[in-house]
Amino acid sequence: MGPDGEVPMTTVPGETAAVVPDTTAAADLTAAPEAAAEVRELTAQSLVQYLRAWWLKVRSGDSGVLPVLLAMVVVAVTFQIITPEHSFLRPSNLVYIFGLSTVYIVLAIAETVVLLLAEIDLSVGAVALIGGVIAFKLAQNWPWWAAILAALVACGVFGALMGTLTARLKIPSFIVTLAGFLLFSGILIVVLGGADGSVNLNSSQFNQAVIYDLVQGTITPVASWILLAVVVGAFGTALWLRTARRRRQGLVAPPKSVVAIRIALMAIVGVAVVAICNVNRGTSLKTVQGVPWVIPIVLVVAGVWTLVLGRTRFGRYLYAIGGNPEAARRAGVSLAGIRTWAFALCSATAGLGGILLGSFFFGEYSTNTADPGQLVLYTVAAAVIGGVSLFGGRGKAIHGVLGGLLIGGIAYGVSLLNLGSLSTPLQYILPGAVLLAAVLIDVLSRRGAGSVTRV
Amino acid sequence: MSDVTADSSKTPAGATDAAMVADLTAAQEAAADVPPELVAQSLGQYLRASWTRVRSGNSGVLPVVLAIVVVAVSFQIANSKFLSAQNLVNLFEQSTIYMLLAIAEIFVLLLGEIDLSVGLVMALGSVVVAELVQPGRNWPWWAAIIVTLLACAAVGAIQGTLVARLRMPSFIVTLGGLLILEGVAIIVLGGSLVGIGNSQYKNELVLYNIFWGSFSPLVSWILLVVVVGAAGTGLWLRDARKRRHGLETPPRSLTALKIVFMAVAGIALVAICNVNRAHVGTIEGVPYIIAIVLVVYGASTVLLQRTRFGRYVYAIGGNPEAARRAGVILPSIRTWCFVISAVISGIAGVLFASWQVSLTTNIIKAANSYVLLAVAAAVIGGTSLFGGRGKTIHGVLGGLVIGGIYNGLYLLGVSSQWIDVVVAAVLLAAAAIDVLSRRGAPDQT
Repeated sequence: MGPDGEVPMTTVPGETAAVVPDTTAAADLTAAPEAAAEVRELTAQSLVQYLRAWWLKVRSGDSGVLPVLLAMVVVAVTFQIITPEHSFLRPSNLVYIFGLSTVYIVLAIAETVVLLLAEIDLSVGAVALIGGVIAFKLAQNWPWWAAILAALVACGVFGALMGTLTARLKIPSFIVTLAGFLLFSGILIVVLGGADGSVNLNSSQFNQAVIYDLVQGTITPVASWILLAVVVGAFGTALWLRTARRRRQGLVAPPKSVVAIRIALMAIVGVAVVAICNVNRGTSLKTVQGVPWVIPIVLVVAGVWTLVLGRTRFGRYLYAIGGNPEAARRAGVSLAGIRTWAFALCSATAGLGGILLGSFFFGEYSTNTADPGQLVLYTVAAAVIGGVSLFGGRGKAIHGVLGGLLIGGIAYGVSLLNLGSLSTPLQYILPGAVLLAAVLIDVLSRRGAGSVTRV
Repeated sequence: MSDVTADSSKTPAGATDAAMVADLTAAQEAAADVPPELVAQSLGQYLRASWTRVRSGNSGVLPVVLAIVVVAVSFQIANSKFLSAQNLVNLFEQSTIYMLLAIAEIFVLLLGEIDLSVGLVMALGSVVVAELVQPGRNWPWWAAIIVTLLACAAVGAIQGTLVARLRMPSFIVTLGGLLILEGVAIIVLGGSLVGIGNSQYKNELVLYNIFWGSFSPLVSWILLVVVVGAAGTGLWLRDARKRRHGLETPPRSLTALKIVFMAVAGIALVAICNVNRAHVGTIEGVPYIIAIVLVVYGASTVLLQRTRFGRYVYAIGGNPEAARRAGVILPSIRTWCFVISAVISGIAGVLFASWQVSLTTNIIKAANSYVLLAVAAAVIGGTSLFGGRGKTIHGVLGGLVIGGIYNGLYLLGVSSQWIDVVVAAVLLAAAAIDVLSRRGAPDQT
């Protein structure tokens, strides 16, 4: 994935520093209060130490996904109580919310890549919509995979252009992508064939049906269970074997209990998702059940980006540049190259989000499908609510997933409330309030920790 | 000249070395940093110093003035109606919203912050003022406008406080503010449309006339004489007083040139506006909104260039830590900038309500795109996104470029999607010129 090709898997942060032969020091490295919170978590030797290290990290202002998880619980419980017939947590609604959130999730992951560099991409909404329209247009004649691939490549090229202007000419990314937003919003309408143009997928033709089914199609219940078993089995085994290998080689590894809990958590979430999706959510006339394709698709996107960001040289360079560009440059990182690639990959990922958005809207794209400006604002909001920093160097793919789900959940929950004329305004006010609350909590927790504050 | 040398203790420029006084602009490095009107002793020196400054990357309004010329010439070639009196007035009217929002944005950009909510503050202002003058409530128009501006000021104060006291990033605060305001504006609108087009009601009529009404031609001329006379006399007397006190003063010829330029521009404007621009009947005279924009422009220029507050704004934008150590109270200056930005956006909102005549949910949603155009106008005009560099004139000129592009392409029958494409190209070009001219400068990288 990285621009440099083969990437050694063993170079994990903390590896060299933490090989400690001194047994007393190894006994509880987390005790030293001045050790960085990051290090404490890496050096934990037991579950208790691990939890304590994690709590210290939260206390020091690096709360990770905790605020967004709490917000999701609050939102879910509140809507479950106040919706008529307590319908918010019905399986059919939950599956719908995931479909609705898909575009925010994928776009927020894309935006995270650029935010990590302390840059911003205001064009993701417009690029996503163009990607969707290109794929839908091409799928009329091309095989589905070629249509999707061409759309992603086109979006990647758009991103590379903007990245080049930002990285080589040093024009601020805010300006370049603002221009990109205007440019691609205009081109979008041209590609659609005018202000009242539209493109539809004919689901009776195979290639169009595949794209139509990306969100609308489902895997049968039995296949869903099998898939779950395979995925959790493969991931669990890989995780277990990797930590075992590290332990054997004398490297720092999380305690066995932590690994076991992680695998169990993954299995529980997976079982819950499949169980919810396998409930019949159709009408009495037509049965709809099973996991929608979009869930594994989003999992793959999030998984690939987690690997790229966490385990490749490219990912480490992104964090390095976001943390301190001058230090990264002196360490030999090609700033311009990495930045250009980040914008290109961000735009390509956004293009996938656009394709899924069109599929969610039953395979129809028109100028009314989504407002590119609204989309980018929600996207940045989702990423920041999820826990991505606007100032670079801090953020993960999972933040985009959780932030996107929260935005989608709020939007759908409000629409369930039968508020009449208040329904539309609340769909703007609540995400705005959640965004402000998320950042306020972040700011206040940092202040409490007595860490660095900006002037 | 003799005054200057006599007063050598007072100012650094009153050097006893006559050769140095003769041409302070000759030194390349100095000329690039010091404003030319401060060191130039004659018109020739002034022009040379200005050119050195442009060459060194400090091009000021030159690129945007060139952009205006390019826009005007190319559209005039494409459609000979572009520079007609009727269309020019139309163009000014359409540009006013962009100009006001850009000026509002500049107050925040100067701090090195950003305000994404100006478009929605404008939308909120337009809905509030339109609702208040409805027959049911029937507020007097002036009370409605005051309450609207106060409401907008409150929004700015809340956002400014979150940014300035809690140090939340302004990008996020105003992004959240934008979303919340969008909802609030729709609630205030009450789900239906609100109009101010009914001329039976005096207050609705006054509001309507803010955008669509004009001074009579005679009043326009009188106003011009009064404004140019007052501004010219003020400028001349100020320079004369400074010269008498032995302070740095631009050469007399330059001051005279400025006043003449102001008068010529004013006469051209009034002459254009006084042509009858109606297809049927008579519409002539300077539109009220041009006067309103000029007042806002003048007041913000004085505030930023001639008051302690303005100097503090530039100081914070240049280096907040240095400003803090010099005793500037950062939170209050920052909060005030957000308040001023919101009030100017509120004025734009009153104009917007008057312009649109009737407001709907869709118009409120569309107000979102104005913030991006406002930032674009400010940057095209020459304001930096990173604080400390920018003037209100940049907002006026940048707004004129964007208004001109919209107007010109509309005149050519080009559909709106292409207008966005052209604005994007101009924005990129402006940023690229800015970056490249800096790169050409020998002293910077």
